[in-house]
Amino acid sequence: MVERRAPNLRGLVIHGLILFACLVCVFPLLRIFSVSLRPGDRIISTDLALIPAGASFAAYGKVLKQTNFLLWLWNSLVITVTTSIIGVSLASTAAYAFSRFRFPGSKLGLALLLGTQMIPAGMLILPLFLMIMRLHLTNTYLGMVIAYSVSSLPFSIWILKGYYDTIPRSLEEAALVDGTDHFGAFLRIVLPLSMPALSIAFLFNFTQAWNEYLVARVILTNSLMYTWPLGLFGLQGQYLTQWGMFSASALLVTIPVLGVFLYSSKWLISGLTLGGVKG
Amino acid sequence: MLGSLLQVLYFVALGTLSVAVLEGYLYLHFRFWDKRWLLPIGLLAAVAAGCSAAALVPLGRASLIVSAIATEACLCFVIQYLLRGRFTLPYLLLAPAVIGLLLLIVYPLAFEVSLAFHDLKLNTVMHWSRTGELPFVGVKQFARVFTTSPLSEVTFWQLLLRTLWWTVINVVLHVTGGFALALLLNEVKILRGVYRTLLVIPWAMPQVVAVLALRGEFQAEFGAFNIMLSRLDRWLPWVAKLGIGPVQWLGRHPFLTCTLINVWLGIPFMMVVILGGLQSISRNYYDAAAIDGASAFQQFRMITLPLIKPVLVPAVTLGAVWTFNNINVIYLVTGQAGGSEGADILVSALYKSAFTYYRYSYSAAFAIVIFAILFIVSMAWLKFSKSTESVYG
Amino acid sequence: MASVTLHGIGKSFGDTEVLSQVDLEVADREFLVFVGPSGCGKSTLLRIIAGLEEASGGDVLIGGQRVNDRSPRDREIAMVFQDYALYPHMTVEENMSFGLRLRGLPQGEIRARVSQAAGILQIMPLLKRTPRQLSGGQRQRVAIGRAIVRKPKVFLFDEPLSNLDAKLREEMRVEIAKLHQKLRTTVIYVTHDQIEAMTLANRIAILNKGRLQQVGAPEEVFGQPANTFVAGFIGSPTMNFVDGAIEANGTGAIFRAKTLCLNIPGDAAAHGASVILGIRPDHVWVSALEEGQAAQGIVADVEVVELLGSKKNLHLLIGDTRLLASVDASIPVRAGDSVSVRLKTGAIRLFDKASGNRL
Repeated sequence: MVERRAPNLRGLVIHGLILFACLVCVFPLLRIFSVSLRPGDRIISTDLALIPAGASFAAYGKVLKQTNFLLWLWNSLVITVTTSIIGVSLASTAAYAFSRFRFPGSKLGLALLLGTQMIPAGMLILPLFLMIMRLHLTNTYLGMVIAYSVSSLPFSIWILKGYYDTIPRSLEEAALVDGTDHFGAFLRIVLPLSMPALSIAFLFNFTQAWNEYLVARVILTNSLMYTWPLGLFGLQGQYLTQWGMFSASALLVTIPVLGVFLYSSKWLISGLTLGGVKG
Repeated sequence: MLGSLLQVLYFVALGTLSVAVLEGYLYLHFRFWDKRWLLPIGLLAAVAAGCSAAALVPLGRASLIVSAIATEACLCFVIQYLLRGRFTLPYLLLAPAVIGLLLLIVYPLAFEVSLAFHDLKLNTVMHWSRTGELPFVGVKQFARVFTTSPLSEVTFWQLLLRTLWWTVINVVLHVTGGFALALLLNEVKILRGVYRTLLVIPWAMPQVVAVLALRGEFQAEFGAFNIMLSRLDRWLPWVAKLGIGPVQWLGRHPFLTCTLINVWLGIPFMMVVILGGLQSISRNYYDAAAIDGASAFQQFRMITLPLIKPVLVPAVTLGAVWTFNNINVIYLVTGQAGGSEGADILVSALYKSAFTYYRYSYSAAFAIVIFAILFIVSMAWLKFSKSTESVYG
Repeated sequence: MASVTLHGIGKSFGDTEVLSQVDLEVADREFLVFVGPSGCGKSTLLRIIAGLEEASGGDVLIGGQRVNDRSPRDREIAMVFQDYALYPHMTVEENMSFGLRLRGLPQGEIRARVSQAAGILQIMPLLKRTPRQLSGGQRQRVAIGRAIVRKPKVFLFDEPLSNLDAKLREEMRVEIAKLHQKLRTTVIYVTHDQIEAMTLANRIAILNKGRLQQVGAPEEVFGQPANTFVAGFIGSPTMNFVDGAIEANGTGAIFRAKTLCLNIPGDAAAHGASVILGIRPDHVWVSALEEGQAAQGIVADVEVVELLGSKKNLHLLIGDTRLLASVDASIPVRAGDSVSVRLKTGAIRLFDKASGNRL
């Protein structure tokens, strides 16, 4: 039906197109890399080369020594880990209730959880900010943790419920017969078996809080309390002079985040589409 | 370092303790739901708890006690007459999450609604923060949303139109781009994993980094795009002759810039979802269609599209809501001092009117209006996607 | 060791009634099998005994004590599940000892019991493996082992062999029979496979549509089925049923169907009653018509012949009445032949047409 040569040409075109798309996707990362290597006196340049003339790692040293970059990372880490632990523990039990029990309100509850995804993020920031201000928690870790802790809860509950649903009920029944109660079966059987889903929920909570900018910007005004996105925004603000430092620090935070995301993406996607389809 | 670690441990301990207290409180109600003394004892405990909480927290002392009593009375009623001691475990498992959502989503929303009927702005915020008093102004704030600019020039109606345009253009480009890439990837036999990894990088990167980096590249003099455009006359002289050259991206065309950035950010998600859908379609359908004599385009229209719809519709819904609510891109590109209003959509204007212009009550009313719009549009969309469902069967 | 008693057990999910008025007494050390088609409520009944499901009405007694309000862990039972329900994150040893650890038995005792059970089931070499690394038959043994170590009063089996292939199933069937002989515990066993029921049971309880149809020893339910359902369900190939009526014939009685007329034992008391005649294919005797000889008994046409090794199934047509005969493979009959048919008179069972009950 098809001539022998046609598929080769077609394959070549396809690979060419995809390669171009890949280049577009990686382009900003390459540019960040290239700019971060520029020597201090040539930050501003119209050079497009990947490795600029006189490349050096000086900008990295400057970021670590002259800015609060490490402090910002630490702040982010403290806030993020705390919120993720809270978020996942709340979600793990709630999702179990939704997965295994039919009780008054179970259907409505699940629907409302999806409904919260519709609320514009900007809508919640204002009252949260005012509450936190009123409680004198601006510029504190606690204020940030409060603001972040339930933001990923609906999604985490959906993802965990989906996973619990795949665990056969007979395992819990066996545990009941073996001599524990329902909660014991959850703790001893279901939770250990759900480690993959729990870690994915944790990673999701983590990346959400780790990359968050808008809430942090209104709650944290003291640059010693900044999370890294705020710090980075500040560096990029004074565009021309600190572009090198911005690029260096941007690359430093991006690499681990990329790694974590690529590792967990398959799971996140299945969770996302699962939540969508069921609704 | 050690200090902040201790602080974190302190939160966690505090959180665990309060959850444990809450669970114990609920458990006792489930355990003794049929006892006569439950209500009186519970009310006594509620008064005690309300008083001690009022001693600790400086705000709204009387209302704390009243709400403690009201909560206790409601709980007793629900457990004694509606639940009758059943469903103990599921409700105990749900309680922490529900309390969290009530305190940090439901209460703030209610607070926002009440805020919209009062007048809280930069002048009154200090007074409110000290005393909790706010002047009531009725629906005035809602009227102002439609009559005065949320920012300094752009009007509500301009913002609304721009938002709809922004949502439509972005989602259309996301889906077409995602579909194109997914179809291409689906054809590839070798290197698919590598391509896929590279292609999801825009989604995987922290948005702040991606947007700020691209914003840098759109800078007029030293951004990569204008450098490339200015070299067009050297690389592709015939294109340059068409009059294509460097552009004042951020100054003159902020909306175009934001759209380009957001399209770049959003395509990978659609691509991944669609690719997943494509790979779940059995090869047999295509073989059968080929035997029936369907052309490649017919196969796409008659097999791929209908079969991918169950995956695509929720993804598009989700994508549209995200795009509608996307503050990040627009704020990060235009939010700094001297940034333009030319790219703002409803939600970014909301953020700026609250936190750049400090018009709190106005923003609350504005937020409610936005939510209403989003709600109406999504209901219409839901109906539309349901009705097309019946067409495909 | 304990008896199990069910008093008027009923269960409904919403408006659908899955069990109604089940009364049953399982003696101590008895091997009782619940058998019935899928959806007959047999698994639900077992789960009610286990305490995994709550009955809508009636009482469950184990060892003479009412256990309705006891949770499964306090009923001193052990259960083997259809999908084995081995905990995937524990080794075989941990799986088997889980219940003992929950009960806080001393380490030495636990180890002794586990190795004893593992010895009986010949799974000693598997103790350190995880369920994922086991074959279906091995998982089955571990699941049984997990039940044995608990030394329960009653063993409950929920279709334990249905996930195994035919050969393994036969092997495990024998194992379970041996195990019961060795342990002498009360066993309640659920299956949809009547062969399993016949081979394993001391007594069989046949359920259909949530009602107990008959309880009896295997020979009894096979030979004296209480109604057409039991008669049709037990035995393979299935019993033949022919609609007809009883007519008086002097002192005896004859059974008359449209194209069939038979002398039957008994008197003519049931004269005129509409009945169903049941006869097992083994009891339909077929002999080839000899050339030139007048036909004796009933003449039938052979429609289809199925050879099953030492036996063959003949699908016979007498007028428009169909009859299945299971005969020795050596009888030379081919499709299209005409044969002479006789029924073993003593094996004929008559059922009331309206109620289906045996007369």
